Amino acid sequence: MDQNTQGRRPHYNRGRRGPDRRGPDRRTPQSHDQPERSSENVDDEQIMRDIRARISQRHGIELSTQQIQELAARRLEAILDPRSVNPTLMQQLRRGADAAPEMPPPTGDAAYTFEDSTLYESHRGFLRFMRRLLNPILKLFFNPNPIVHALHTQAALNRDAAAREAERQRLQGEWNALHYEILQRLVTEVSRVSVEMQALSLRVESLGARVDFNDRKLRAMEPAPQGGRAQSQSRPPAEQPQVAAQPPASVEPAAAAADGAAAADGSGTSEGTRRRRRRRRGRRGSGGAAEGGAAVVVAGEGLAGPDTIGLNDLDEGDDDEPEGLSGPEPVAAADVAPAPPVAEEPREPAVAAPPFEQPTPPPDEPAPHAPEPPDPGPPDR
Amino acid sequence: MKLAVVVQRYGPAINGGAELHARYIAEHLAESADVRVLTTCAADYLTWRNEFSAGVDEVNGIPVERFAVDRERELEEFGRLSERVFNRTHSLDDELKWLDSEGPLSRGLIERLRSSGDEFEFVLLFSARYYQAYYGARAVPHRAVLVPTAEREPSIGLGLFRPIFRGVRAIMYNSPEERAAITALSDNSHVPGVVVGVGSDVPEHVDPERARAKFGLPNRFIVYVGRIDANKGCGELFQHFLQYLERSGRELDLVLIGSAVMPVPAHPRIRHLGFVSDQDKFDVIAAADLLVMPSFFESLSMVALEAWALGKPVLANAHCDVLVGQCLRSNAGLYYDGALEFGAALEMILDEPGLSATLGANGRAFFRRNYTWPVIVRKYLDMFEQLTASPPAHAMEPLPGWFARRSRSLPPSAALVEALPAGPVHTRGAGAAAGSWRNHPQESTA
Repeated sequence: MDQNTQGRRPHYNRGRRGPDRRGPDRRTPQSHDQPERSSENVDDEQIMRDIRARISQRHGIELSTQQIQELAARRLEAILDPRSVNPTLMQQLRRGADAAPEMPPPTGDAAYTFEDSTLYESHRGFLRFMRRLLNPILKLFFNPNPIVHALHTQAALNRDAAAREAERQRLQGEWNALHYEILQRLVTEVSRVSVEMQALSLRVESLGARVDFNDRKLRAMEPAPQGGRAQSQSRPPAEQPQVAAQPPASVEPAAAAADGAAAADGSGTSEGTRRRRRRRRGRRGSGGAAEGGAAVVVAGEGLAGPDTIGLNDLDEGDDDEPEGLSGPEPVAAADVAPAPPVAEEPREPAVAAPPFEQPTPPPDEPAPHAPEPPDPGPPDR
Repeated sequence: MKLAVVVQRYGPAINGGAELHARYIAEHLAESADVRVLTTCAADYLTWRNEFSAGVDEVNGIPVERFAVDRERELEEFGRLSERVFNRTHSLDDELKWLDSEGPLSRGLIERLRSSGDEFEFVLLFSARYYQAYYGARAVPHRAVLVPTAEREPSIGLGLFRPIFRGVRAIMYNSPEERAAITALSDNSHVPGVVVGVGSDVPEHVDPERARAKFGLPNRFIVYVGRIDANKGCGELFQHFLQYLERSGRELDLVLIGSAVMPVPAHPRIRHLGFVSDQDKFDVIAAADLLVMPSFFESLSMVALEAWALGKPVLANAHCDVLVGQCLRSNAGLYYDGALEFGAALEMILDEPGLSATLGANGRAFFRRNYTWPVIVRKYLDMFEQLTASPPAHAMEPLPGWFARRSRSLPPSAALVEALPAGPVHTRGAGAAAGSWRNHPQESTA
């Protein structure tokens, strides 16, 4: 067990625990296995490892910007899975993002110019002269002008098309770069958020564990109805009216919850309390079922075993308490969920008793007189 | 022994890293040798404008010969050529044009070396990336001892420097990381080399209380010394520091010493002292809890060495291999990658006086072992003796022919440097740290 030789719990079970003992940004105290540093054992790398471990412990999963970028790059690869999207999309996006929008000039074949004299041009002057001289003779056979015109027009069209294509490719390159950048940033942001979400979920889990632990501890420390228990244990079993096999510690909060509900309905808590006290006095006056008084109506009689504790015990225990202490326990009342009624109070002719709801304890709720639950360890981790 | 120190600028008021390095080396070697400095008339490294008069001068007892710069730097042309040689496939001719454009182009200085360089036994050439070192090495290769002061930046990947790294008589490195990078780029393991660095004239007595009273520094503070420049990581430093203040609520100041070329945040916890005297600087460092070095690229941080000499820990940028390597080898500083690590490491040093004192003591021991002037001077003299005892075993490769120089076959230098193995060189322990550099035992850590 988690106890020392004196049977006490170790000191670390008290007060706030964990890394947030001095607030979230305080450094955790030096552990005992980390001795005071001397010049012989100072190791920069070890210190840096300690620092990084502390940071990751303090902040859950803590990644550097570069690591997030790498993670994002991996996720981007996963999103743009070539098997499912497009085998070349990734490369195209990368190229578009990396390469400057520098388009190759149009090739020589497409970028020709064609003028009236192009047909007769030559680098040899004599040949050029002869062609021009014989041009009228050529025109006797056919008219070259439409051909010249068509080729001239085609050359102009080629130039325009090349310019349009270059502009289109430039724009496409810019769009590619923009798309890649946006996608990259989105994925980076998603990665960052998911990492943060993981850290937060760990934190929530840790806080939940701590709440649960505190809840158990609180219940274990609740003042048990000692007087009633002692009295009930001193009685012979035959005298105990067997009502239900439910832990009494949960009954009182249920009554409190019922009171709370009544208060919410507008009838007021004090009226319900007075009625119950009148009922208890009546029962005490009748001396219980064994003395021949009004019989207690038992709904679940078959379920009552020898260890069950009667409602009378609880009532008497309640009566032993001072008035001011008989109020409902807020934590227990919150824990008790509405359950189907399993038993009804014996109705008195003059006062209509509110229906009594037998609470069903949550599965992890400890028995009222069970030993203190074992320490589940630090609630954070 | 007659030595020449060749450097791009020289003067008592010139505080650039390599220039100050050269001046310190010249002045301390002058106790053991006849030292003469050959330099230009320039004072501004951006323009190389002739501001000193040409001729022989004397600085702190050292004779200085100054030669006029033939052409001031044209920033636009230099930027265009830098873009070409750093980021595109280019030719050797492009690189030579880049070198001329970078300057300081002083043909008189090179001619002086070529014509009468033999009067010196050795010529110490500072800053490999500048004109005078390149052509000086080609002018007197058999006497050239190079002090590269190279950082991990694209210029060291240029093809024109490889014959220089392979052809000089010896290389005096600043750090094992620098040596590893140059060796990986140029395959010059046959060239004698030693990691030396530079010492610092740290005063025997410092007075922290005087600095606190003079500058009004009642709180605990950390100090940054150097040019306040975004390229030095100062923007990131301001962000990290302010975030840390916000998170911790601690009363801690950041004190800045040096000229600002970027806006300093107007925050009551950030104090900019501007230029201060050396004595004030040392007093402020002594009063600080630690020195912070946010720079991404450093060849050797003299101010970190000074802080260690004063027994102060250093908090360095983890992206700077040289600084991280120094921290690891000395066990005298921590390093950070991001705001969280900055805050955590800072808090650890501030909150654990024992750790801070131990780091400081380690730093002091590291400085004494490696960077006191007798150690530095001894390394230079040992190298000179070694070179004197053995004849030159290798020759400088000549420049390629006209066509070969114009062949566009050289890859972008930035890509080459990017592909180099990264990480600090780890001489302690079993193996290398983050990178895959091999161990270099020259910087003693024992």
